[in-house]
Amino acid sequence: MKKSKLIVYLILLTLILALRAAAQNTDSLLNTLNSSMKFNKVEATFKSPRLVLSQSTETQKKHDLDLVITHRFGDIGGNFGSSHTLYGLDVATDLYIGFDYGITNNLTVGIGRSKHDELYNLFIKHKILQQTNDGIPLNITLLLQGAVATRTPFANEFISFNHRTSYLIQPIISRKFSERLSLQAIPSYLIRYMTTDILDSKNLFTIGFAGRFKITKRLSFIVDYTLINGLSRPTRLSVAQYNPLGVGLEIETGGHVFSLNFINAEYINENNFLTDTKKSWKNGGVRFGFSISRNFSLFKSKNPDIKSTIY
Amino acid sequence: MTLVKIKTIALLGLMLGISYLSYAQTYIGKGLKVSLFSSTPIEDIRASSNAANAVMLLPKQELNIQIPIKSFEFEKKLMQEHFNENYMESDKYPIAKFKGSIEPLIDWTKDGDYTVSAKGILSVHGVDVARTIAGKINIKNGVISISSNFDVTCAVHHIEIPKLVFTKIAEIIKVSFQGTLSPLKK
Repeated sequence: MKKSKLIVYLILLTLILALRAAAQNTDSLLNTLNSSMKFNKVEATFKSPRLVLSQSTETQKKHDLDLVITHRFGDIGGNFGSSHTLYGLDVATDLYIGFDYGITNNLTVGIGRSKHDELYNLFIKHKILQQTNDGIPLNITLLLQGAVATRTPFANEFISFNHRTSYLIQPIISRKFSERLSLQAIPSYLIRYMTTDILDSKNLFTIGFAGRFKITKRLSFIVDYTLINGLSRPTRLSVAQYNPLGVGLEIETGGHVFSLNFINAEYINENNFLTDTKKSWKNGGVRFGFSISRNFSLFKSKNPDIKSTIY
Repeated sequence: MTLVKIKTIALLGLMLGISYLSYAQTYIGKGLKVSLFSSTPIEDIRASSNAANAVMLLPKQELNIQIPIKSFEFEKKLMQEHFNENYMESDKYPIAKFKGSIEPLIDWTKDGDYTVSAKGILSVHGVDVARTIAGKINIKNGVISISSNFDVTCAVHHIEIPKLVFTKIAEIIKVSFQGTLSPLKK
């Protein structure tokens, strides 16, 4: 009796095995191979390493060089604006020319020069966390920047070289919520050795918020706001300071990114605009600005399968 | 009793045989190569991936191939990002696939070269298109080498090429596919 039962079970087992094997289809077999898991990065949270004011979590691709040219015009309205300066277009409050270079896909170094304070800046940008579609919800990029003001001093302004320097520590946190919407939070700590306003604090803690909304595949609306007043900054200052707010349109054309902005910050570099934004949106202090970035790929691959040629 | 025993043993053997046979009739291939080529008078662009997987079931010669779009590599990494973000929308449509059957019927136990065509559905950018794609098959010691060259028309798969781009992209992309499949060992 027991033996026959065993045989019945054996028959059933082989039958199940046989059926399973026969029922296996190509789709389920492909799923067991499952190679798409490796390709889970959520890319292009932003099109550009910079939004209106702040840097974004994007770093350069390995061996890519990005040339950035940014311009800020004068006040549109108020005492310094109106038709006398063609709504600020006669004036350049700041100009920035810089290069970003990708040492690896996650590590970018940059150098730049601003008109304001004749400021030279050096930064490293390291992507620490990459958003994926199967677990990691955020991108985190750490930005460290040092800057030196090289202009001739007024009176005994720069006692030592240290007084010309300022440093920025900025973890940038972003998330691509959907194809269209990406948001970013930018806490920063700025260290300087000298303030133009003696009532101001040397070190500033700020929080920025920025976002991108894609209108079409290549045209995006960008907004960028930094909260400075009301955090570590003293409430009473000799000259009023404002929180920088910028809005803009970003146009991507494959290799170039053009950004057209309206903004109350006069200056371009973080070490300048975080410490010194004396214009507000209310009193005609808003200005037009633009940014052009052009990407170059250096050190081309020798793999003939991916070789591209421009004639 | 002995007759019953023999019968059951025979039945067991038969079923094991069936299960063994049906497994042996499955071929799989991992890391098959797919290359893209876009040619215009202004610019030639090549991209390549070694991440395609294929499965073939023999009685019906069913062929199923899948490739993750994000696995394609370009010389310019920014171009690769634009390929995914602007053209293929790979977050929305992460894989391209072909599912169909190979014609005519081949004796897969015999070594040799065969010119075949695969009739089925090509799915790219989420758009399914019925296609008959010509290819070549080489069988040697149970290993199947498969290769094919075919065209993909961007417009047919609703892949838009905007006018405002500096990089010139062909409206018809040449695709080549090649790799080997081996019997699935259980």
